[in-house]
Amino acid sequence: MESRLSSVLLATVAILSGCSWFHRGEKAPPEVVAEEPPEDPSIVEPQVTRREVKTPKIKAKDFEIGGYFGALSIQDFGTNPVYGIRAAYHVTEDIFLEGFLARSKAGTTSLEDVFPDIQVVSDSGRHFTYYDLDVGYNVLPGEIFLGRGRAFNSALYATFGVGDVKFADKDQFALNFGAGERLLITDWLALHLDVRDHVFETDLTGRTKNVHNIEATFGLTAFY
Amino acid sequence: MRRLLALLLLLQALNVETALAKHALVQVVVKQPFLEVHSGPGRGYPVIYVVERDEVVTILYSRTDWYRVRAAGGQEGWARRDDLARTELTSGEPAPIPPYPDFASHRWEAGAGYGVFNHENLVTAWGDFGLTNSLDAEFVVQQAFGTIDNRYITTLGLRHTFIPEFKWISPTAGIGFGYQYVKDREPPAPLQNSNQLAYISLGARGFITRRFMWRADWRKYVVFTNQNQNEEPDEWKVGLAVFF
Repeated sequence: MESRLSSVLLATVAILSGCSWFHRGEKAPPEVVAEEPPEDPSIVEPQVTRREVKTPKIKAKDFEIGGYFGALSIQDFGTNPVYGIRAAYHVTEDIFLEGFLARSKAGTTSLEDVFPDIQVVSDSGRHFTYYDLDVGYNVLPGEIFLGRGRAFNSALYATFGVGDVKFADKDQFALNFGAGERLLITDWLALHLDVRDHVFETDLTGRTKNVHNIEATFGLTAFY
Repeated sequence: MRRLLALLLLLQALNVETALAKHALVQVVVKQPFLEVHSGPGRGYPVIYVVERDEVVTILYSRTDWYRVRAAGGQEGWARRDDLARTELTSGEPAPIPPYPDFASHRWEAGAGYGVFNHENLVTAWGDFGLTNSLDAEFVVQQAFGTIDNRYITTLGLRHTFIPEFKWISPTAGIGFGYQYVKDREPPAPLQNSNQLAYISLGARGFITRRFMWRADWRKYVVFTNQNQNEEPDEWKVGLAVFF
């Protein structure tokens, strides 16, 4: 009897002690396992998205566009108003390329004035239209002073180019030579004073000759 | 009235664009001992202000090789491109002064010149797009001034530059097709006013300075006519161009 009781007790103790094992895992301190060094360091991927830094572009203001008007002396046909547009591209501080497009209307020749019945050129042919493609050089850049406190950047330039003159309903090849002064009122607005000669060959007045058509103009242009 | 409104809208759009542009200006830090600011965009203009090392300047815009800058104190003037290239952005990166377009590998080209077409004076203008460094597509518009008629010629072609890395002179050859319009100047009227044409060309090009180049070309045309014989005029021309 006694032995049976003791065996029950023993079994109870054994079971209870066995139950205590169920909680061992929780109570036990976490096992310290030596971490192996990662084989590839790139396995750690950064979670930061890269910020794209956009550097603003610096605007180039090498183009110059504007208009001009003045007086054009058409050889044998008097001096008449001329108006036109111009556009330039500045390649270096010295050199620029420029294009002109302008229109004028010729007056009458002395012959036509004296003999009103004679007409050398028809009315529609009196339009004098030209375009020029020029290369220019800033010969004398500098500053112009207005009083004590104001200085304007300026340049005296020379231009040379080829183009077309349409006069008396005919297109003629024309050379042009010119000189001008550019005065910058602000850094983007410029005043121009130009003198240009358009030379072409014509036989309008009976014999073939080179005619010089000199114009003096005043212009306003903007750099952009 | 509608035109005026359109013009106003256009101006407004431009205004908005410039206003937006104003917000995005490059600021650089002077890293050399000092940065000289000139009164004008040219080598002879006097130095009117000096920005010291580690000071910040704002770059407003450029004109040829000069940059309009504003110092921290509000002083404005022109700084030389080479000087500005040595500055840095506030982030430490080099200043965004783009290098000159490389002559050998430039993309765009525009130019104009003078020539002789079949003993007639010729005014020519062209635009080029580089398909590769040595192969260009070229578009040409020109006017030939004859004694009895004028021609307007426009062509589209391909041009090969044999050694594009040769800077001062490199030979070219081209082929293309086009169209001519003949405008009567003196009677008799031309038999045909408009013709198709094709050409081959030989030439050379070379570098002058910065983004400036010269070009010379000889072309042999075949003008297709409805007569028994085609016309075969020659053309010589020289010109100046800008590349980008």
